[in-house]
Amino acid sequence: MGTALTLYLQVLVNGLLAGGIYAAAALGFSLVWGIMNVINIAHGAFIMLGAYASYWLFVGPMHLDPFLSIPLAMAVMFVLAYATQRLLVNQVVRAPLLTTFLLTFALSIFITNLAQVFWLSDIRSVTTAYSGSSFALGPITVPWIKFWTLAIAALLTLALQTFMTRTKLGRAIRATSMDVDAARLAGVDVARIYALTFGIGGALAGAAGSLASVSYAITPTMGDSFVVRAFIVAVLGGLGNVNGALVGGIVYGIVESFGACGSCFPGVHFLGEGFKDVIALVVLLLIILFRPYGLVGKATA
Amino acid sequence: MRTARDRHHRLFAFLSGITAASILCIAGAAAVAPPAAADDNVITFGAALSTTGRDSREGALTKEGYDFWKDYVNSQGGIKIAGKLYKVDIKYYDDGSDAATSAKLVERLITQDNVKFILAPYGSSATFAASAITEKYQVPMVDPNGAAEAIFNRGFHYTFAILSPAKKYLQGILELAMTLKPRPASVAVLAANDKFSLEVAEGISDFVTKNGFTEVFYSEYPPDTKDVATLLTQVKAKNPDIILGSGHLQDSLLIMRAAKDQSVTSKVIGFSVGPSTPDFITSLGPDANGVMGGAQWTTTLNYIDPLFGNAERYAKLFEAKYHHIPDYHNAESTAAPETFQFAMEKAGSLDPAKVRDALAALDVETFYGRIKFDSRGVNIYKPMAVEQIQNGTHMTVWPADAANASAVYPLKAWGQR
Repeated sequence: MGTALTLYLQVLVNGLLAGGIYAAAALGFSLVWGIMNVINIAHGAFIMLGAYASYWLFVGPMHLDPFLSIPLAMAVMFVLAYATQRLLVNQVVRAPLLTTFLLTFALSIFITNLAQVFWLSDIRSVTTAYSGSSFALGPITVPWIKFWTLAIAALLTLALQTFMTRTKLGRAIRATSMDVDAARLAGVDVARIYALTFGIGGALAGAAGSLASVSYAITPTMGDSFVVRAFIVAVLGGLGNVNGALVGGIVYGIVESFGACGSCFPGVHFLGEGFKDVIALVVLLLIILFRPYGLVGKATA
Repeated sequence: MRTARDRHHRLFAFLSGITAASILCIAGAAAVAPPAAADDNVITFGAALSTTGRDSREGALTKEGYDFWKDYVNSQGGIKIAGKLYKVDIKYYDDGSDAATSAKLVERLITQDNVKFILAPYGSSATFAASAITEKYQVPMVDPNGAAEAIFNRGFHYTFAILSPAKKYLQGILELAMTLKPRPASVAVLAANDKFSLEVAEGISDFVTKNGFTEVFYSEYPPDTKDVATLLTQVKAKNPDIILGSGHLQDSLLIMRAAKDQSVTSKVIGFSVGPSTPDFITSLGPDANGVMGGAQWTTTLNYIDPLFGNAERYAKLFEAKYHHIPDYHNAESTAAPETFQFAMEKAGSLDPAKVRDALAALDVETFYGRIKFDSRGVNIYKPMAVEQIQNGTHMTVWPADAANASAVYPLKAWGQR
């Protein structure tokens, strides 16, 4: 026991905590992809809007704590995403995957550039009184902000899971994803269900944005790198699988963290911060090869 | 019931609506902006800058610098070449922070917009790509922001950089460190793996080995990284006296936050890019205090300028227009077109080849520093300064003869800065 073990444990905790924001970013993305078969590239732009919502509420006269502004950011993004689905995505929702992909890609560019016009490319930050404070678990340091980010990501996952399994609406959403025509025959208003699903996806992006606002620089382009990670985490966890996003996020965080730790494996020269993306993506490839249904999902025929 | 065909019609109508709207917009823009070649009394410069993408902040600072020069020169009547006054204009495109796009747009500026003088894009990667194009068409380009040596080691004749090369960026902090007591000894280096940042890191390593420091930690990281916690965990284990980050603004912010999260302390912390920008202080608040940055230029440097008078007057005029003190990106981006102007006046001609020769022979002092290029097109005279943030403002702490404050050393503990 000693400094070496401390290093490994700290690196593990770093990864676990980083997984919180990745899971939050992937949750809504995975839901929309799994239920609607729409790869929503604009999800990153939604996260960015959520972050700006928290930012404006924080610097505004209310001086609202970013963690407390999560419900507000979620409400705003729900309405926006619901309307987006009704007006745009619904026109092409049953078209081939590439069409919706292109549409949301265009939407993402549109929103990002609109944000750039109105809010400029200035880098903004939410710096709270507790930014940078942490607590100690023995020799391990745990930053409060990252701890709460992970806790809220887990809470959102639990809430979504309960909603999907315990409520009538949740069951209707799942039924629609299994068989659209059967659901329609059973009296489910498919267009409304799709809009609701997209709205929930947007609300979750809003929550992820609020969480991101305390840890990251807020810029109009901040969503781009989140959407890439959401994509990877969604595939890791299993598409549309609610718990999968959380598990995938944490696994991705831990793999990335150890991949970044050159000093954890002395003598191994292909490890280190510069290689962490490579290592994380190799893990993704292996999972696609051996468990194409994701870490949490079950194989289907 | 709606059929698939209907849906496709609606989609088609929607998309063609968008297409038609964009065509109208472009046509409208074209009608408003007169073609450059048509007006004999205007010299048009061209630049592909990052208005969007990850370098959009630095791109915006560059554009402010270019525009400041343009408006100032026009307000003074213009540039006098062979007895005739010309107004100046700059045609911009957005490269989306992508080097390949930047090069394509520079080609478009030269071949379609007939621009004969190029102001470089933001950053080493984009400037590297664009310089291949300007060389191919033999169009001179003055470069305020691309500092990687790689740009200049290809035997090109049309690219001229007014700034100090990348390797020098953080050497100033180490020069300063050698004068501090007790003298710091161990250095940790964190470098983004792009051309510019790696050369900055190489410059640190060179300096470290020659001057009795020891490099106790070195790591590269990908430029779009989201999490550097593990990087800082490893730095903490080495307990270095000096932490130097060679990357860009967003990385510097991430590193500062992760360092505070894990209470990583050092006697000196410095970054190649970040501390000089206003956003660094607004983002970090008191935590920014004590941080050092390599600066291409600061307002306290004492140079005489034929156009703006001196650095202080430039800073005053700039602040009146843009409501913030110019950072070094602004200053170098004003000095680049100014350098073009001096070369054109000296050449007495608007022939690109003659302007190029005048650039190559130029030796002039500007508010930004003395400018004279070696055969590769690198400015041979300019030193780097070091800024330190003290009580939320930028103070110049190195070189000693331009310093307006002495360095705060060692860094205070987190929470007391």
